[in-house]
Amino acid sequence: MQAYAAKLIDLIESKAENIAKQWAKDVMTHSRTPSYHSLPKDMVIEQGINFYRLFRRMSLAESPYEEAKTFSWKYAEEFYTEKIPLHEALYALILMRRNLWLYAEFQGTFFTALEKQQAVESLNRTILMFDYVSYQVTEKYQELAIGDANKRLGTIKTLLIGKGDSGKKSIYKIVLMGIFLIVACILTYYYHATLKTEGLFTHLFYIPIILASIWWGKKGVFVAVFLGALLLTGHLLFLKGMPFLGDIIRAIMFVVIGGVIGWLMEGIKKVEDLYKTITI
Amino acid sequence: MKAFVTKLVDLTQKNAETIAKQWAKDVKTNTRTYTYHDSSEDKIILQAKDFYRNFQMMFFHEAPFEQAEEIFEKYAEERYREGIPLHEAVYALILMRRHIWLYAEFQSMFNTEVEHRQSVESLSRTILMFDYIMYVITRKYWKIMKLEWLAKKNTQ
Repeated sequence: MQAYAAKLIDLIESKAENIAKQWAKDVMTHSRTPSYHSLPKDMVIEQGINFYRLFRRMSLAESPYEEAKTFSWKYAEEFYTEKIPLHEALYALILMRRNLWLYAEFQGTFFTALEKQQAVESLNRTILMFDYVSYQVTEKYQELAIGDANKRLGTIKTLLIGKGDSGKKSIYKIVLMGIFLIVACILTYYYHATLKTEGLFTHLFYIPIILASIWWGKKGVFVAVFLGALLLTGHLLFLKGMPFLGDIIRAIMFVVIGGVIGWLMEGIKKVEDLYKTITI
Repeated sequence: MKAFVTKLVDLTQKNAETIAKQWAKDVKTNTRTYTYHDSSEDKIILQAKDFYRNFQMMFFHEAPFEQAEEIFEKYAEERYREGIPLHEAVYALILMRRHIWLYAEFQSMFNTEVEHRQSVESLSRTILMFDYIMYVITRKYWKIMKLEWLAKKNTQ
């Protein structure tokens, strides 16, 4: 670290709390950072102090970029949790830099011609540091947003059996659905033709209906239509003379449930696609 | 203010193509702007030239923030549609600013005592403009993301 920036670093380190307090006052009233206005003051000041103390650590670190992460990631995590929009979090960083510079000017740190030259060097140094932090905070914010979405979509993703409808997974889904439908045909025949009863077996039909809608979205409703038709055909062929209304309602419910889940799943897939475009 | 900072902006404007080429070379190899690596060089040079031209307009405008909103929201939208992640778009901006300064240093623009004072003024003003640009671009990116989310929700 060059000697010229040492003066500024010394000032920042010794007055970190004062500068942080000025920054907190600024950020908690500024029109471009409205989300900060209601945050606890102590929390905001603490972030400011952490940032201003980072200067010394960065100046001593072998890799200042890596050292900057110790602050950036914590800053991003804390303000993301507080639901601060990224552009406000970035603007707050900009205000941190501005307050630092204002403080140095106010203290007359760079007065003589030589000091003016030092000022340029110091300014460059602080800008470089802010560049690292801005980049890391933006990157971390996106990472957190994606992580959040993945967590929320986690269970559904498991049910989706991976992404896309191609390759082995697609065949696996078709084979599994085929088995479910064959079992449904056997059960229908057994209950209608052998036992001559409507029975409770139709509740099991919801398993392939729900899975089909999760896997194939609105197209999955065809499985519900098939099972509804199977139930009604079985009734017509083997349960003549028994009331038809119960099975008609069941068949309609299959289609309604399959349709609603398929519709919801397409929405979830769109949200997932949106997150993919954010992450790219 | 104008007297102090004109020199830097004039230099940037006159040599926009050279600075844009240097920036393009940097952004196409920098590990923090990975998505730019496969972009056409001509296309991104043009992008930077436009940026520097707009930057000059904004620099001398009476209301630079409002001007930034007018110009750079469109820039953000274009980068978003091109599939540039926000953190890379931010870093590309940082590199744009750095290249203005590198070029000025290379040309030994600020040598004398008076020039050193001017350089502090120029640097401060340039930083302020880039701060506005960065804020506007980040805000627009998140707005588009939100709008797309809502649009997709409504088409369900």
